[in-house]
Amino acid sequence: MTRWNDGTDEVGTVSADITEETNALPARYFTDPEVHEMEKEAVFSRYWIYAGHANAVPEPGDFFTRTVGDRQVVVVRDRDGEVRAYYNVCAHRGSKMVDDTPMTEPGNMRRITCPYHLWTYDLDGTLASTPKSFEEASLNPDLEDDEVATLDPERNGLMEVHTDAIGPLVFVNFEDDPTPLAEQAGTMKAELEALPLEEYELARRYVSEVECNWKTFGGNYSECDHCQSNHRDWIEGIRLDESELEVNDYHWVLHYTHEEDVDDELRIHEEHEAKFYYLWPNFTVNMYGTADGYGTYLIEPIDEGRFQLVADYYFRDADLSEEEAEFVRTSRQLQEEDFELVERQYEGLRMGALGQAQLGPNEHTLHRFHRLAQEAYEAYEASDAPDAPDAPARS
Amino acid sequence: MSEEPRAPFVVACPDCEVRTATDDPNETVAFYRRHRAVTGHDLAWERAEFDGADDLRPDADGTDGPGGGEAVLAAIVDDLEGTYGNGVPVGIVAAAMGARGVPMGETLERIRALRMRGALYEPRDDHLASV
Repeated sequence: MTRWNDGTDEVGTVSADITEETNALPARYFTDPEVHEMEKEAVFSRYWIYAGHANAVPEPGDFFTRTVGDRQVVVVRDRDGEVRAYYNVCAHRGSKMVDDTPMTEPGNMRRITCPYHLWTYDLDGTLASTPKSFEEASLNPDLEDDEVATLDPERNGLMEVHTDAIGPLVFVNFEDDPTPLAEQAGTMKAELEALPLEEYELARRYVSEVECNWKTFGGNYSECDHCQSNHRDWIEGIRLDESELEVNDYHWVLHYTHEEDVDDELRIHEEHEAKFYYLWPNFTVNMYGTADGYGTYLIEPIDEGRFQLVADYYFRDADLSEEEAEFVRTSRQLQEEDFELVERQYEGLRMGALGQAQLGPNEHTLHRFHRLAQEAYEAYEASDAPDAPDAPARS
Repeated sequence: MSEEPRAPFVVACPDCEVRTATDDPNETVAFYRRHRAVTGHDLAWERAEFDGADDLRPDADGTDGPGGGEAVLAAIVDDLEGTYGNGVPVGIVAAAMGARGVPMGETLERIRALRMRGALYEPRDDHLASV
């Protein structure tokens, strides 16, 4: 049931079984700045987070940077052709090394050099060279040159971040010993890797800043009960009553059937439907039924009340045909319609009246999303984290 | 996206069609930094209304060339220091430069160059003052 902040209702946990109760994640987990800070560790440091597309860095030395919470990594293709990620932090005294470099404008470097004291690393992260001032002690009267220790290239190399991939989609994980991406992505990994994702090129990237919590948009993406009344153009060719919402451990899939059969050449996949994958916590893969291409959304928090949506579109050729450009424009329109909805919802949440929302019977995907958030908070709290806010109380 | 009624500062990305409208000039710079980091795009000014705009010397007319743009920027900071205590917000400087056709990214590069040369300093984060 709905629980108001009227002094009588107490919030509880997200319902274990949506067929019995319909508790959503308590409202304060969407609006509390402390929760945002906690999520940097509890969520974005513990699960696989999308870093970018391997096609953006085709040659050895190609790189871009990616910021996740308070951390930034350099995603680079090494000389063996592997895509790797390193903290953008020099092993000498911790300086940030390379400037912010977007995936859409990747840089290239033969080696990674810190501008502070010119420590230089090979693309495999090992320390390649230091200036003479680190090999001699001419300014230090207490030390002879031949007493200066030689730096071991590996032990003084960069700190690598775990990477894994679904086809060309590269993910990073900041845990010491992360659960394999295959486990987090489940069947989604095999399904997507059966498709030639790597043959498609980034054609458009739209980045939008939206004034609501990232989970608010994630929830909106995960259900389509709002589509009939809010996406009039989009639902024209969709049979919502024949659609299916599939829930898995860490991902869910929204299957949308087209009213009329769509030409096979208009799809990357064989199913006669559009498939929208949401991978916990903040990544989606959009397999369209009416365009020979696919898209990805990264739902990236800025603070508790803002996120940026990074919407990428991949087509056979980065130079879009007029039909493809129109398709992207329509997708963009859909985003704008959703932004209006989630900002409106967030204005309501910020008023503080609602203690805990309730979920509808067809919002089982959203229920899974809220459960995963709660589990992440509880796991973080159980790990004796020093600044963990209270997880939702057991009801 | 939400827009405050007649927010004094509005910037937009011509490529993404995303815009932000804000009362805080430095929020436009924060928006630029986030947007630049993931897209590489620069931003265009749609509106910039700020105290002291009428006090800017007309000779700060955007004459460019090596060093010329930096001289204009330094003159803008000099002109506005009386209006903004404890440093001119970098967003105000960017807006004034934007009115002269200088993109946000280029303004930030010029600010950095002037700071590295010791011609400007930051009495507090993202606020500028003449030395």
